[in-house]
Amino acid sequence: MKRTTRVMLSILLILVIYLFVFFAEKFMDPFIKRVLNTGFIYVILAVSLNLINGFTGQFSLGHAGFMAIGAYTSALLYMSPEQKLSNFFMEPLISPLDQIQIPFFWAIIVGGLMAALAGFIVGAPCLRVKGDYLAIVTYGFSEIIRSLFNNLQNITNGPLGLKGLPTHTNLWWTVSWAIITVIVIKRIVDSSYGRALKAIRDDEIAAENLGINLFKHKVLAFVVGAFFAGVAGGLLGSLLMTIDPNSFSILFTYQIITIILLGGLGNITGSVIVGIGFAFLMEGLRFVEMPMKIFGITIPGILGMRMLIFSILLMVTILFFRQGLFGHREFSWEGLAKLLSKRKVSE
Amino acid sequence: MMLQLVEAESSKKPSVKQTVLKMEHVTKRFGGLVAVSDFNLDLKEGELLGLIGPNGAGKTTVFNLITHVFPVSEGKMEFYGQDITKLNTDKIIRLGIARTFQNIRLFTNMTVKENIMTAFHAHLKSDLFTSVMFLPKYQREEEYIQNKTWELMKEVGIEHLADYKSSSLPYGLQRKLEIARALATNPKLLLLDEPAAGMNPDETLELNQLILRIREKYKLTIIVIEHDMKVIMNICERIIVLDHGVTIAEGTPEEIQKNPLVIKAYLGAGDEDA
Repeated sequence: MKRTTRVMLSILLILVIYLFVFFAEKFMDPFIKRVLNTGFIYVILAVSLNLINGFTGQFSLGHAGFMAIGAYTSALLYMSPEQKLSNFFMEPLISPLDQIQIPFFWAIIVGGLMAALAGFIVGAPCLRVKGDYLAIVTYGFSEIIRSLFNNLQNITNGPLGLKGLPTHTNLWWTVSWAIITVIVIKRIVDSSYGRALKAIRDDEIAAENLGINLFKHKVLAFVVGAFFAGVAGGLLGSLLMTIDPNSFSILFTYQIITIILLGGLGNITGSVIVGIGFAFLMEGLRFVEMPMKIFGITIPGILGMRMLIFSILLMVTILFFRQGLFGHREFSWEGLAKLLSKRKVSE
Repeated sequence: MMLQLVEAESSKKPSVKQTVLKMEHVTKRFGGLVAVSDFNLDLKEGELLGLIGPNGAGKTTVFNLITHVFPVSEGKMEFYGQDITKLNTDKIIRLGIARTFQNIRLFTNMTVKENIMTAFHAHLKSDLFTSVMFLPKYQREEEYIQNKTWELMKEVGIEHLADYKSSSLPYGLQRKLEIARALATNPKLLLLDEPAAGMNPDETLELNQLILRIREKYKLTIIVIEHDMKVIMNICERIIVLDHGVTIAEGTPEEIQKNPLVIKAYLGAGDEDA
């Protein structure tokens, strides 16, 4: 298949998705719309974390920290001065943040850039360690961010969090950012840079002995991943209308790691499908936390039962599908064409 | 007229061979263990040097020192006159030194083709933005990489396996893939660490020809570590013998074969010492 054909088909697919978004925004049930929005934010998070953990092989647990930075930065930029005033009643917000208000789009971008900057600052010292150590150091980073945001009363409003954020996030935003994330990361992975990242994952010593600067490329993956995590944080803040430091705890990172493990490390298709599926499962499984009557015995509702189901799902995946549910099978137009032609032959 | 004559004269004269790699008093200590001690080398352009010695003699350590897998404890190394003693691995490689590994180090999750294509990354001129946007400059580079990769696969005879996972190749072909991958970094000096290990006699013979052929074609200077004397004695012009980190002999294959110190290092002391 020619490159131009593939590009045309991809553009067509994107148009179809936007057509869906158009109708969804008009006619769809607000609850399902909300779940879909969350799903697309999960996609952004999972695909960006996959660049770091899956393709570059650097096991990072810092994604929630980058999200928090993105969420707070953008929220403080797109909130109106009056909203800020009503939020910061304990201690006033420092100037000039209390007077600034910029459009949502730019606020999200700045949030992403701040997260990327944090990714660079954190990545530079952290990426000198590998494996489990890197996981611990990045986990530490995300906890430091949480603790900082809990205590910086005059910037983040501390544990009170920010409430009554204007709802800008809708399917247009989340879908567009999810598409941008997938395209950018897919293009990185398919380029010469992606080959270098995968080489680092497979064998650092061999990669270095081919003249690849390990440090530079690891930081690169970290910065790009952090940028999109920041963007996702900004979108999530405006969707939930409220953010507080504790909502960006390590549990959030675990959820994203669950998604990329289920979808397959280094598999973008898997991250996208499981990301959206995860959001629906999270809502669909709410019934297990309700009080239930089984065989005449009443079981009181237990909060957190959903996570138990995800844990079981994760264990089954790791035991029986080591490569994730999708393995190394990526979506491609060639693959689809082959599948369709095969089906025709069998008919 | 006179000037032209002089120029013609000088171009005819066989030029003095340039020094590729110069190592002076290179020593490496791991704690109390001296892995390599006072290693000296003056490698001329186009030379094919063999590095031999019993197990644990420090041969691979010499390679690891050249490519700065770890730093030297003492001594100095120069590559084409440039001091490389303190340079990082990736920089040294980009200057034009390439190596293969004793225990093959391929990118096992990647195909044969991708393995070689990866090696071109060090010399990629397009920045990240150009590559991600697939701009014409990057397209041209990518095309160049594809063509060169194909050429290298043909050179070592693995072009029919281009899309196979590199881990699925038999041992001998994995070695050849590693050589092709090393060549892709466009080296001037190639370090081969036991290229014939695990090969049968036919494959070894073929490997000898391959090494001589690539030296000619890519104007390489080569250092080979090898236990298989069929490789060392047939293709090397000069041999250095290491034992317990100490250089015990240096010379042509004929000289080395007769050297009593070498025989002692390999076979142990004779009766009179027992």
